[in-house]
Amino acid sequence: MNETVIIGLGSPLMSDEGVGVHLLRKLEARQEEFPGVDFVDLGTAGARVLHAIAGRRKAIFVDCAFMDEAPGTLRRFSPDEVQTQKRLPRMSLHEGDLLKFLELSRKIGEAPEEVVIFGIQPESLEQGETLSLTLASNMDRYIAAIAEEIRAADA
Amino acid sequence: MSQAIDINVHHVTRVEGHGNIVVRAKDGTVEKVQWQVPEAPRFFEAMVRGRTWDEIQPITCRICGICSISHSLASVRTTEAAMGIVPTEQTNKLRLLAHCSEQMQSHSLHVGYLVAPDLLGVKSVVPLVSTHLDVVKTIIRIHRVANRWSDLIAGRTTHPLTLVPGGFPIPFNENDLRELKKTIVETTVPDLKAVADVVLSVADKLPAFERPTEYISVSTPDYYSFYDGDIVSTDTDERVPTSEFERVVNEYVVPQSTAKYCKWHRDSFAVGALARFNNNADQLLPLATSIAGKFGLKKGNCNPYMNNVAQIVEMVQVCEHTLQLIDEVLTAGLKTEPRKVEVKAGTGVGCVEAPRGILFHKYTYDEKGICTGANICIPTNENHANIQKDFEALVPQFIDRGQDELTLLLEMLVRSYDPCISCSAHYLDVKFV
Repeated sequence: MNETVIIGLGSPLMSDEGVGVHLLRKLEARQEEFPGVDFVDLGTAGARVLHAIAGRRKAIFVDCAFMDEAPGTLRRFSPDEVQTQKRLPRMSLHEGDLLKFLELSRKIGEAPEEVVIFGIQPESLEQGETLSLTLASNMDRYIAAIAEEIRAADA
Repeated sequence: MSQAIDINVHHVTRVEGHGNIVVRAKDGTVEKVQWQVPEAPRFFEAMVRGRTWDEIQPITCRICGICSISHSLASVRTTEAAMGIVPTEQTNKLRLLAHCSEQMQSHSLHVGYLVAPDLLGVKSVVPLVSTHLDVVKTIIRIHRVANRWSDLIAGRTTHPLTLVPGGFPIPFNENDLRELKKTIVETTVPDLKAVADVVLSVADKLPAFERPTEYISVSTPDYYSFYDGDIVSTDTDERVPTSEFERVVNEYVVPQSTAKYCKWHRDSFAVGALARFNNNADQLLPLATSIAGKFGLKKGNCNPYMNNVAQIVEMVQVCEHTLQLIDEVLTAGLKTEPRKVEVKAGTGVGCVEAPRGILFHKYTYDEKGICTGANICIPTNENHANIQKDFEALVPQFIDRGQDELTLLLEMLVRSYDPCISCSAHYLDVKFV
């Protein structure tokens, strides 16, 4: 197990919702450039986040995020910089909130020293396996920003 | 009782996939009781149409983040049924090992994260850390072993790599299986006993509510099945081949719901752990039988809240079954087998018991192996009508409890079915502070 893990989240069947998984696949294809990093595609599997980050020094998440920004905007933030706006009635395991799982991980003493989230504001959550043009045309920029973060973790 | 009841539990999301609880009553008279859900997510069926046989499982495994292995297995078995491919004995056993791990993952999460907080009197698993740290750590340990077990056997849990038509590429060795067996015996089984004891100590918090219900699952004479066999029901002795599932699920439309309902011998039926238990409890292995006995869970139980207890029993069952399967695989010797797929035209049905209940996929392929039609019937849809019928029976019975307690009872009821209502709603929704 490497000290740093990068985790892609989302459903690649719902266009921009899956941007985290699309980006993870592209970065994983270049993994020889990033020794010391594990790449994990967690899809929409909420609670598995706990296990993927346990005992790591650094976790980097890439996910679709509503941030009140223009579609395509990428923001890098830590969990402490945001408040969740989700109001889930907790009626099903299929509702998930990454921030709640990070809080749980911290409370049981397993959270990495550093957690970084790259959120990308979606344009479309329609059914489909491709990203919206707005996000697709920005993929190189997203990859460059995340790659820089990975290299910084490795340094 | 003159108290007015007005319950509106709304799940606010930007994307489809939500469930709402709506109850209105005045002067003890129930005016409205609804479990509201949107139409079934049929778009997956459109997505697989026009795709080749080997592209289908990578799509369908993403239908559900929790049940990726179940959808993969149903998908792969459907393709095999359509093309007349018969998997080897070893392939079937290794698939079962993967399937057992998913039951463990899903049931442990459900009991630990959704049910335990209700029974222990807190709002969610996060505050449970302060009051019951040992319980939370035990649940996480069970889920963690199950997660690693899935990763080992399925290659990975999200988008499993070993669950493919025509064979089972093996990414592990015999020693890995021995290690898994050791972990289950030394860690997971004791952890499950501990969780069962905790739940048993607060089992009186599970509401005493019963409604005669038809329970449907698969069943085979050979073992407590999540995988093989015919469709059976607690209402009849008939055994229906899974290829004829459409005459069992009988989707129908009612005015008060946008989701289709399913029925067989009554207005609704239930699927899931309690349904499997009610049909197949005689086949449970010894420790699972003894855990069921501790809870007084017997065949014929029709309290939907006991689905949670049936899940605990099933966790023990899949551990015991897995130990048997590992022994069988090791005794025969783990072999590398060639993958065999001969593409041909045909229609097939694949069925497995997902953690939430019986799951069906049906595809038609042309002679080039391109999918020309699909039907996917998920357990949550099969249960929607039953949740509504439970609501209709429960509300008048418990109306004197008042708004807050009634709301909790209804939420707990929905939780006991753990409906797949919002896989798509996982994205972050944040405000910068």
